[in-house]
Amino acid sequence: MGYKEEITKAMTMLGKDERTIFLGQSILYPGHVMYGTLSGVPDSKKIEMPVAEDMQMGISIGLALKGYIPISIYPRMDFLILAMNQLVNHLDKIEEMSEGQFKPKVIIRTMVGSKEPMNPGVQHCQDHTLGIRELVPNIHVIKILYPVDVMPVYEAVLEIDKSMVVIEMGDLYD
Amino acid sequence: MDGKELIKFEEEIKEVFLQGKIKAPIHLSGGNGDALIEIFSCVHPEDWVFSTHRSHFHALLKGIPPEWLKEQIIKGNSIHIMNSEYKFFTSAIVGGTCPIALGVAIAIHRSGGKEHVWCFIGDMASESGIFHECQKYARNFQLPISYVVEDNGLSTNTPTEKAWGGREQLPYTPKYQYERTFPHINVGEWVEFK
Repeated sequence: MGYKEEITKAMTMLGKDERTIFLGQSILYPGHVMYGTLSGVPDSKKIEMPVAEDMQMGISIGLALKGYIPISIYPRMDFLILAMNQLVNHLDKIEEMSEGQFKPKVIIRTMVGSKEPMNPGVQHCQDHTLGIRELVPNIHVIKILYPVDVMPVYEAVLEIDKSMVVIEMGDLYD
Repeated sequence: MDGKELIKFEEEIKEVFLQGKIKAPIHLSGGNGDALIEIFSCVHPEDWVFSTHRSHFHALLKGIPPEWLKEQIIKGNSIHIMNSEYKFFTSAIVGGTCPIALGVAIAIHRSGGKEHVWCFIGDMASESGIFHECQKYARNFQLPISYVVEDNGLSTNTPTEKAWGGREQLPYTPKYQYERTFPHINVGEWVEFK
């Protein structure tokens, strides 16, 4: 199976877990390539978000405090930059600040925008993986480079008791 | 806890701080005890309370034991008091709790829960973009959350109105005004840390 097909399979798997909930822009309405990967997830588990990236990350944390496992979708890493306050100052620090009383688990799904066959320009295809790794020492940041790794990564993401940033590669979508 | 007990708690913390036993910043509450006692008469034990760097009064009125709170403050945690048992959460980033509290309210709404979420913010936070986004979302989706603006006119020592060139009208958000009885941070006297 190809990269996108594997991602779709992984999202369907995540959607079957009763704890998960999906939120982001263009997840109930088409607007980017990630939309199609959610075809196996019931609409009732999707929250279509306005463009409010930091609010979305904070909402994800709040949902997690109540026991959900949010899959918070940022279709390009360039957009995830706008959620840094909630990601860096909150999600990454809450367990330490609360001395382990609160351990919100959020799965952040993002993508390095594709450059082929159309180059979208420098605001839509940056790879900030290394920078984000520096900023969130308590959150795992993992990039998926091969189709064969997709399912094992998302199975592990669901299993472990940590928040994770999962980075997909737009140019690998087939 | 009544108003006198709230004031007494902060006076005791002040004394401990002056003895150099708290090696972290503290933000003492004062001047708003009566207003908060009235608001907390509507807050139920199962409700969530979100507060700020200045959270001692909120914590005590939520029912958190004073001894536990004092211990946390002495440990240096005053700036981010958290207690999961009492559903009490804070952030020391201005406006930081607004979307987190909103997420809790969404979860309650989806599950048909009866709890309510109370999110206390300062006047500078009430002017911020993140608050306006969250307040709009909460109102449009009729979520079980109340944002309460605690307006002392200052952010640290910056007059909010002067810095913004005016103030936003907040027709949908409860607000009370008060004057601080302590400085923004610490107690206003030099402390020798040994």
